[in-house]
Amino acid sequence: MQLLSPITALVRPRITLSSTVRHALHNSAVLLSKQLPPRRVIPESEIIENFLKGSGPGGQKINKTSSAVQLKHIPTGIVVKYQDTRSRAQNRKIARKLLQDRLEEHELGDDARTRVKAREKSKKKASSDKKKRRKYRALEAGKADEESAEELEGVEELEGDAEVESGDAGKSVGTQGKREGVDKAG
Amino acid sequence: MPRIPTALLRKARTIDAFLPALLAPCRDLHTAQNELRWLREHVEKVAKARRAKRDTLVKGALLGQLVRERAKGKPLQYLLGTEYFGDLEIKCRPGVLIPRQDTAASVTHLAKLVRTAPNLPAELRVLDLCTGTGCIPLLFRHEFTSNRKDFDLRIVGIDISDKSIGLAHYNLLKNERIIQARAGMTNFAKADVLADPFGDLTIGAPLPVRSMLNHNKWAPFWDILISNPPYISPSAYWKTTTRSVRGFEPKLALVPPPKSKFDDRQQGDMFYPRLLKIAEEVEAKIVLLEVADLEQALRVAQLAQKLDVFDGIEIWRDEPDVSSSQPTNEDGFHVYGEGNARSVVCWRSEGGSWLGKSSSPKPPELLQDAPEETSSNSYWPPSYYQSNEVNFNAMPRFMWKRHMGDQRGKPPTRWRTPKTRWREPA
Ligand SMILES: C[S@@+](CC[C@H](N)C(=O)[O-])C[C@H]1O[C@@H](n2cnc3c(N)ncnc32)[C@H](O)[C@@H]1O
Repeated sequence: MQLLSPITALVRPRITLSSTVRHALHNSAVLLSKQLPPRRVIPESEIIENFLKGSGPGGQKINKTSSAVQLKHIPTGIVVKYQDTRSRAQNRKIARKLLQDRLEEHELGDDARTRVKAREKSKKKASSDKKKRRKYRALEAGKADEESAEELEGVEELEGDAEVESGDAGKSVGTQGKREGVDKAG
Repeated sequence: MPRIPTALLRKARTIDAFLPALLAPCRDLHTAQNELRWLREHVEKVAKARRAKRDTLVKGALLGQLVRERAKGKPLQYLLGTEYFGDLEIKCRPGVLIPRQDTAASVTHLAKLVRTAPNLPAELRVLDLCTGTGCIPLLFRHEFTSNRKDFDLRIVGIDISDKSIGLAHYNLLKNERIIQARAGMTNFAKADVLADPFGDLTIGAPLPVRSMLNHNKWAPFWDILISNPPYISPSAYWKTTTRSVRGFEPKLALVPPPKSKFDDRQQGDMFYPRLLKIAEEVEAKIVLLEVADLEQALRVAQLAQKLDVFDGIEIWRDEPDVSSSQPTNEDGFHVYGEGNARSVVCWRSEGGSWLGKSSSPKPPELLQDAPEETSSNSYWPPSYYQSNEVNFNAMPRFMWKRHMGDQRGKPPTRWRTPKTRWREPA
């Protein structure tokens, strides 16, 4: 996929450039995560659910605030626990998602969505770290004097999205993002 | 209560200065961290709302105050103002019992069983006695209508406490959009479950349930009766409830009132004979009564059996829907699910098939009281209305007063006719 070349980008008005590129990138980024196969729904018959209530009397005699849910996947023995929301219904739903993720990792290894996402994230981070370093070098060189944190963030986001593209497009847009940032600063 | 180990307190302090205080009510670090996060989120929400009113608020001070109250045992649900009950978020206020997860589990299970029944009447009526926050009617409606939307479901919740009825109405308002209240009706009213419908009425005292239904021009017959009544005996109150329950939740909701010649256990069980009597009067086809434990469950089940009006009686545990587990047998009653014994379920006539029980219902002549309902409505007029004279001796006793109260001397055929005697919620 060929995105705008750096030259075109430079001669275009900045706003148009920014929104166009952002839009294109955003769409493709969404597409990529959509490309992951849907989570496999685990049949309830394969799950043992436990509300971890201990051996107390229950009912009216206690007003618990924790509604922890623990799921055990019978075929694989994988166990997940979730208790971060106040709603048991919500904890049950999230615990099932977690179990699906663990199961996928178990079955697909590096192709599991959690692994794919983790790689995307670390790639994004590596890239944005790189950009940041470049940016600070540029700042130090006196090419820019002031810059708001928000603008900096915007650039990072743009670059981050680009990274989840294919290698080529990511590279070209990454360059562009950097130029944009520098333009802005100057 | 065992003391919190110093090492744990120290560890908590290194994570957050507010955490050690929360270990007392929470007991473990993870729960304490969760509660602190929920309190913080609450403070943020309050701060946002107040800022809109140009009020200044020191967030830290508010959080500190909430943590101090929580450390003293005040229930988190009263501090945050809500509790989750199934999918619903129910408003809570001091003076009204906080809804329990165990109750939600039984009500959800019941609603799920009934909503798939093939032979439900076009209008299904559910009566919830001792309704508190109104959580049971709201959750039943939510679960039931989630796959039967156009159903005419009529639910009334009853409580003796004004605070409770006020809060129940408020909860109805707050949850209206989620529970799709448009089909049928949901309403709440004040009445005294323990009051004797045939006793002398005291001026100003809450009405007995039957009189209240009559007064509101609500139907006298109800298909399903649910109740989570006060069921803790005085001695169990001191020995088995947690400090937070004893110190902050209303005793009226937990312990039945004392009565002369009643021992401790009889006092704890006081509501059940009345509830079963009302179930009989309203001709409930399914009765779901929450209980404290297996011993009380068996006492209530035996009581229900003695009435000889039910086709079946069984006991559900905290999680009645665990499909893998087989029922156990306790004193001749099937006990379903996992956890502590939590409710007694009785059914008769169509109630059995609504619950998915295959056994055929008792033949009508075995049911003593009250005319048996059939889907064709052909049971009217029952034998005691057969001549021009009303035969009070053939009529079940509970209908005398109702009949005489009607003052018209006509068979009350309208009572079974849907929609005519119903007042829609204002
Ligand atoms: C254990 S609470 C149950 C509340 C609610 N159903 C729930 O599950 O959260 C019992 C309720 O019974 C009410 N109550 C106590 N005595 C009563 C009586 N004589 N008649 C009707 N309601 C009564 C209390 O006000 C309280 O709200």
